[in-house]
Amino acid sequence: MTRDAVKNRLHRLIGHDSLHFWDIEDHIDLLAALPEETREEVFRQIMAIWPVSYALCFAFLNQLAKGLNCLQIDQLAAWVNATLDVYENSGLQAASRFLAEVENNFACKLRGTPGLTLEEARGRLQPYLTGLAGYEIAISTGVAAYTDTTTIFLAPEISTFDAKEQNFLLYKLTTTIQWAFIANGLFRLSIPSDGPLLAPLPSKSKPGRAVENLRLLDFCALFPQPKLARDVLLLAETVRATAFLHRELPGLMRDFAPLCEQLNQLRPALSSLSGPDQFVEQLKQWVISGTRNGNWSRKEVDPGIFDLCHPASLTDPAASVRNSAAFTIAIYGELGRSHLDYRGTPPIPYAGVLKPRQAEQAGKKRREESKKLFIQALAAYLPESKSEVQKTLIPPAAQPPARQGEQEQTAVIPPGRKKESTDSPPPPDLLSPQTFITLDDEELQLPESLQPLLREIANDLGHIPPEYISSASQRAGHGRIKGSAGPSDEAETPTGTSAICYDEWDFRRSGFRKNWCTLLEKELQPATGTFIADTMHKYRGQLRRLRRQFEMMRSQQCFVKRQRDGDDIDLDAVIETHADLAAGLPVSERLYIRLLRDRRNINTIFLVDMSSSTEGWVLTAIKESLVLLCESLSMLGDQYAIYGFSGMKRSRSELYHIKHLDEPYNDTVRNRITAINPMDYTRMGPPIRHASNLLANRDATTKLLITLSDGKPEDYDDYKGDYAIEDTRHALIEAKNRGIHPFCITIDRHAHDYIAHMYGEVNYIVIDKVEKLPGRIPQIYRNLTA
Amino acid sequence: MTKTSEKIAEHRITEEPFYLPQCNELQIAEAAYRNGLPILLKGPTGCGKTRFMHYLAWNLARPLVTISCHDDLSTSDLVGRYLIKNGEAIWTDGPLTAAVRAGAICYLDEIVEARKDTTVVIHPLADDRRELPIEKTGELLTAPPEFMLAISYNPGYQSVLKDLKQSTRQRFVAMEFTYPPPDLEAKIIGKEAGIDQPTAHSLVKLAKMTRSLKDAGLQEGASTRLLIHAGKLIASGIQPRVACRATITETLTDDHELLAAIDEMASSIL
Ligand SMILES: Nc1ncnc2c1ncn2[C@@H]1O[C@H](COP(=O)(O)OP(=O)(O)O)[C@@H](O)[C@H]1O
Ligand SMILES: [Mg+2]
Repeated sequence: MTRDAVKNRLHRLIGHDSLHFWDIEDHIDLLAALPEETREEVFRQIMAIWPVSYALCFAFLNQLAKGLNCLQIDQLAAWVNATLDVYENSGLQAASRFLAEVENNFACKLRGTPGLTLEEARGRLQPYLTGLAGYEIAISTGVAAYTDTTTIFLAPEISTFDAKEQNFLLYKLTTTIQWAFIANGLFRLSIPSDGPLLAPLPSKSKPGRAVENLRLLDFCALFPQPKLARDVLLLAETVRATAFLHRELPGLMRDFAPLCEQLNQLRPALSSLSGPDQFVEQLKQWVISGTRNGNWSRKEVDPGIFDLCHPASLTDPAASVRNSAAFTIAIYGELGRSHLDYRGTPPIPYAGVLKPRQAEQAGKKRREESKKLFIQALAAYLPESKSEVQKTLIPPAAQPPARQGEQEQTAVIPPGRKKESTDSPPPPDLLSPQTFITLDDEELQLPESLQPLLREIANDLGHIPPEYISSASQRAGHGRIKGSAGPSDEAETPTGTSAICYDEWDFRRSGFRKNWCTLLEKELQPATGTFIADTMHKYRGQLRRLRRQFEMMRSQQCFVKRQRDGDDIDLDAVIETHADLAAGLPVSERLYIRLLRDRRNINTIFLVDMSSSTEGWVLTAIKESLVLLCESLSMLGDQYAIYGFSGMKRSRSELYHIKHLDEPYNDTVRNRITAINPMDYTRMGPPIRHASNLLANRDATTKLLITLSDGKPEDYDDYKGDYAIEDTRHALIEAKNRGIHPFCITIDRHAHDYIAHMYGEVNYIVIDKVEKLPGRIPQIYRNLTA
Repeated sequence: MTKTSEKIAEHRITEEPFYLPQCNELQIAEAAYRNGLPILLKGPTGCGKTRFMHYLAWNLARPLVTISCHDDLSTSDLVGRYLIKNGEAIWTDGPLTAAVRAGAICYLDEIVEARKDTTVVIHPLADDRRELPIEKTGELLTAPPEFMLAISYNPGYQSVLKDLKQSTRQRFVAMEFTYPPPDLEAKIIGKEAGIDQPTAHSLVKLAKMTRSLKDAGLQEGASTRLLIHAGKLIASGIQPRVACRATITETLTDDHELLAAIDEMASSIL
């Protein structure tokens, strides 16, 4: 490719205006010199980074030569995805550094090692982890393995072993151990500051201010060399977690056992180390050996060290993180005598490193969120439960807890267990208990939908704080949070003659504002570009699968019996008629079988949020979803329409035509999808009402209205807060009352409180990861109509 | 009519079925029975609804007529039709009619699989009229007090095409079935498949993991039934991981990443 061609291509990909800010001359030379296939792959990666960050894209171009030097072409995408992960978690600087360190982060092709990238492993690991934990813990790229309790960070590539399967096994064990750290309460460490546990510590290192209970972060800060303390504590916890895995997941440990030996061969030689480094390294090797069979024997380590460690205190099923803390204090006391500084050797790969500060921050954030979510969800459940409780089955085994004469209204107990105190968190249980609450002397079983949240909270705090439940029961009475104002009555005359007026629901007066909004149907100017082709390429594997799945849904030819006319005689009917005749009954005329080719009679309208808040990844994902959806649906022949919506104020609610119900999916439609761009605000009522009207006039047997949006409805005027939520909710109920099945898909990192209320009557789903959206939408459609 | 009652007699359950109650479902169902109320069993597939019906029928000492619903099921298939025998037209009761006459328990399994125009015939039976009009013969059957109607339904399918109509569901006493609690489920599997408790517990653990994937890609997690299948293969000497792959993993999904993830769960546990 000539330099000019490359330049033109970049201009088209990125746009003139943005491009001339950057000095890209050098990169153009590089790109021009690349083989065709590689260059196309690079362009694709540029398109992935550019919408996220211009600066990062530039950093990528800067490191490109180095990257290409070291990576196979099919590793480029993994490199970029890992970079984007780092960018999301730790910002531009970290991501640029990550790009620059490509040689360390990926096994060089020159070395020819059969590494496994996280990208390759993720599809298998993520659902595995979700199943293991019972709720979602994210997986992301980090330099060494660690967890902040919300996310597990893993190396972008593992090439420790010779076979991919073995490298995967290391990923798997790492993930499992990090989960076990969370589940076994490492991050719930809590020690009374004046308790006997801390007594061995020199008094000057004890906290000056009065801290009642030391948490993990405080504990590590007690030591003059916090890194040493963290490393030792993590080693102790690794022993404890490994023993736990030997009990709970013996298969995994059996599979991993042969690899322990190899891991130890990769450790630094003890003779090359001295002082605390040598000591801790010896511990590490001993921990790895014991991982093999869950038995940390005396043979493998200095007897002196062994006596200090006393591993039985850690491997006991009843051991808690406090035992590990005691272990840390003992070892540290021993090492503290040395005057050499601790620098540390590389972590045990599966144990990784301990980052208490990150965990503290992530934990705080999550606790706030899950508290809010839990109270909201429980409140929504409670008012009904009073009447439903008789119908729900209550295991006789789960007796209400002995009431301790306390005024406390509520308590959560797993059946068969006494109420636990915070000091000794319950041991994690893979067969987690169903949880019951007692409220006003009645025992309620919590709905299954609350279980993941419960598990998450219990993991965090070891129990469900009673105030969560009392807040929920207080809130249960008043379903809605009062407060925000509705739109003011400022007079705005709708403009545009082809406009359609719709009423809007005002919850404060429980009535409609008549003809309040004006909806304008607009055309999107079709745009050409590589978007469609790129999407089809990016998802080619998934598309193949989707097409096949949708093809299978195409209703096979099927016979309907007892028709007035048809392709063949219905023998059953004839015999029956014959019998009826003999019995002197009037005979039926329905004696034929008809071959029906298509019994699916479904009309669907997709409403797509095109408000400005979707700008960037969300809108890209929405557009990609539409491509996958249309491609899949073209296998089916169900009729569907797609409209985008946005607008500003009640006088200009806009509906963008992408595909009408009777329109075929063709290049014009594809180009309209390409043309989808972020516009203004999100007023959901008018487009929902309009789409309901369109559907109501069709005579399909099944009518679906699927909305795709990101978060709260909101307009420039006073269409926000409760008012907007209530109007949206009402518009959906109106649709439902007209025989339409609404289904709402929200792209949001969190299922916020309002969503359950807004969509209350309707089916909905919250998708927390944008990148999952494109694959999910066709699946959702498939499930809805299967 | 003796023909009918003979046929129904075959549906009598003579041996106590193995059933471990999850909660107070038996008491509720018996109370419904005494009050002439029909019951609706809600719950995912393979969690013990059918087995419970057997147990209930045995307890009440009534015959149990089970009809598995499908979308080709016609009203005549339920109520009955004239057949020609020796040149003569003879009315033959369908299973529903037979059950009403004999005062049996009639269980319509997976009711939503039947077409809506078929399910309406049970409406008059399901409310306080307790009647079954037989159009062809002009007969209006009134159900004896011993007769009970039961239907089952899996609310887990999100499909809008398979939703139970309000007008149907509001006639029933509803009981929700879920997978049994872990210890109970392990006992059930141990007994049904003939495996030891540690293995049964491992299977329950695996099931629980797959059930956590319900909204993360799986339509449903592994049911008790699947665990029993896995257990039976294990009891016949199939290697546990292989047994799980065949009976659990492959039946739950076709998605290769999920398949791989469930395999990883199985190999971690077993
Ligand atoms: N509570 C229980 N007691 C005994 N066996 C049970 C119980 N629950 C489930 N099972 C076993 O699970 C299998 C599947 O249950 P089944 O009743 O067929 O499920 P469903 O009708 O809900 O689809 C049964 O064959 C039985 O072996
Ligand atoms: Mg069944």
